[in-house]
Amino acid sequence: MGVRSASPHYYLSTRSKGSRNPLNTVRKRYRIGALPWITPAIAVIFIMVLYPAYEMVKTSFMSIDGTGTSHGFTGLSNYRTLFRNPDLTAVMERTVIWTITVVVATVLISLPVAQILHAKFPGRRFVRYALIVPWAASVVMTSTSWLWILNGYYGVLNRILLSLGLIQDQIQFLGSPTQSFAWLIVVAVFVSVPFTTYVILAGLTTIGEDILEASTVDGASGWQRYKNIIFPLLRPALLIGMVINLINVFNSFPIIWVMTTGGPGNSTDTTTTLAYKISFRNADIAQSAAMATINFGIILLFIVLFLRVSRWREDS
Amino acid sequence: MKRMKRGAAVSTALALAVTMAIGITPSHAATTLTMIAADYPGDGHTQQDQWNDFATRFHAANPDVTVNVTVKSWNDIDQYVATQIASGQTPDVVNKGDYSAPAAAGLLYPASKIVSPATLADILPTFLNNSKYKGTIYALPDLASARALFYNKELLAKAGITKLPTTWLSLTTALGIIHRKLKGVYGYAIPLGPEEAQAEFNIWAGSNGGSYYDYATSKWVLNSAANVATATYLKSLTTKGYTEPNPEKCDRTACAQALFAAGKAVFINGSVFLGSWLSANGGAKIKYGTGSFVANTHHKPVTLGVQDYFTAYSKNGNQAAIQKWMDFIYMPDNYAKFLVAAGGFIPATKSAGAKAASDPALAPFIKLLPNAVFYPGDIAAWNSVKGQIQQGIGQAVSKDPATVLGQLQTAAAAAK
Repeated sequence: MGVRSASPHYYLSTRSKGSRNPLNTVRKRYRIGALPWITPAIAVIFIMVLYPAYEMVKTSFMSIDGTGTSHGFTGLSNYRTLFRNPDLTAVMERTVIWTITVVVATVLISLPVAQILHAKFPGRRFVRYALIVPWAASVVMTSTSWLWILNGYYGVLNRILLSLGLIQDQIQFLGSPTQSFAWLIVVAVFVSVPFTTYVILAGLTTIGEDILEASTVDGASGWQRYKNIIFPLLRPALLIGMVINLINVFNSFPIIWVMTTGGPGNSTDTTTTLAYKISFRNADIAQSAAMATINFGIILLFIVLFLRVSRWREDS
Repeated sequence: MKRMKRGAAVSTALALAVTMAIGITPSHAATTLTMIAADYPGDGHTQQDQWNDFATRFHAANPDVTVNVTVKSWNDIDQYVATQIASGQTPDVVNKGDYSAPAAAGLLYPASKIVSPATLADILPTFLNNSKYKGTIYALPDLASARALFYNKELLAKAGITKLPTTWLSLTTALGIIHRKLKGVYGYAIPLGPEEAQAEFNIWAGSNGGSYYDYATSKWVLNSAANVATATYLKSLTTKGYTEPNPEKCDRTACAQALFAAGKAVFINGSVFLGSWLSANGGAKIKYGTGSFVANTHHKPVTLGVQDYFTAYSKNGNQAAIQKWMDFIYMPDNYAKFLVAAGGFIPATKSAGAKAASDPALAPFIKLLPNAVFYPGDIAAWNSVKGQIQQGIGQAVSKDPATVLGQLQTAAAAAK
């Protein structure tokens, strides 16, 4: 045991129980000595993460009127009001459809795109940079652009289709809830693809040339090589990319808010935009906190999933 | 070396803490007032400049009072004020569109305490009547607006319509003619998107004898027979293509007013400032006329009067300073500047009202005011119910009117 003292993890390891070991006192001092350096990080976690979360859960059990004045605890009544909302089930279902569709579509598009960007071709550097743009641009900006592209009266997409003679009348792309929700998904995928592609690209660069060469020598076709070698080796990168996307897409607010404000009514809301609306449109902060607490629970579930996935990666 | 660095860090932190403690110690004689005001012109600077000018001149006259005014867009102000109050940073004065919820919560000074009797006597009684909560005046009207029917004269002539419709029946006929004769033009732009759906629907409902709240029974009546009939009528117009498609998605400014400015809509329910908005937003060439709204048979045409408010919060106990500041705002010269910065609204004081009555842009609206219906702004839950109406009522023309209004009624009855 004592021999491994070169590892920095060793001093933080709980396995160092040996009491007679003279290094022990040194270790203890190191542990206390680390305190000033990790205190800021711990403080940030407490102030920026745990305290607001505590306030949120507390607020969800309180009675707060439209002015923001608190009238003390009220038990589960905010949750009861929330569950009485006739649109809640539809919003929950839509959130599931939203999250799964966007993540799956993003991955399905990112896999081949990453493959293309991994191949050597002239101008590859330029294409790689170009792909970053939708990711680097503010999502609000991207969504606003799409909102105007799709505008039913002045939108450029209508203009193009009219000029090409493909349509006779302007189309209200964001007219019906079903149609506008589909467009929201398209924009969300558009915004998510760059990040996912880069995660997969990073995974691709870790696959050794020698393995691929060996498989070619063994006579594997391109598809066989992808299915049996590249894809299995990509799994860790892919899983992490998916889980991060799950969390991002589930929490996604700006795309929906800019393009439809979740409306008309609640017909394109997800639970995230619904929580915002309850708070800032219907002036019910406490009920909104109840919705946010439920969202928080779902996101915790995703994080547990994420930790599982990363452990799974370590174990293999 | 390490220890020295740590020592230096600790002493720096200590020094910083001491400085901060000194920094937040209040000096006793001075009062600082915080005010949050809505941005009427919506350009982000005109109103802020005006308030900064007021604050500077007020401070020069009253060196012991400093006023900090934060101007917020109409989209954000409700939520900003609510979070300020919820986080213990209650402002002293607020200028926005509602007052009843804080009045009901006991957060406000009554009007008699925030202006001198002379100032209070100068405010028009009609507006003060809409500023009460349980009989006491809790808010001061800052200005008002009224709405009228705007129509595009050229388009109407092109469609061969020489007489303005006066009933819903004749309106339907006129819109039918427009639909047949003018391609690419919508008869009536009806904005039932979130921005101002509560106003648009209130006008139509009022023209059919409906309202949001019944004062006789103290109950919300969002799904009254009159309101359902109104929504059904509007839905029939939309289905026939007499309105712009998807009124439930159409916001007032970006959609309805823009269509009118582009000469793509014949009729629109416009506010008193629509004329100046048109000339500033590419609709200067539109030749428009104004008239009274079209009512259903057996009902009188109404107009919707909307007034906004100054309210003063009692939490910080700055009553004396607030009163000085509010009296300063209502001084005729200052009040005139406030109205100019806000842009084309109806004044709420007698002195300014007398002048406005001879203003050709305002006069027709001031004449309509006696027949105005107002929002149930004195009901504590109004702000919350308004939010729900804005989000949801547009669906009454895309889904089943009775169901949508029924859901809104249930939500309103539960609103706090």
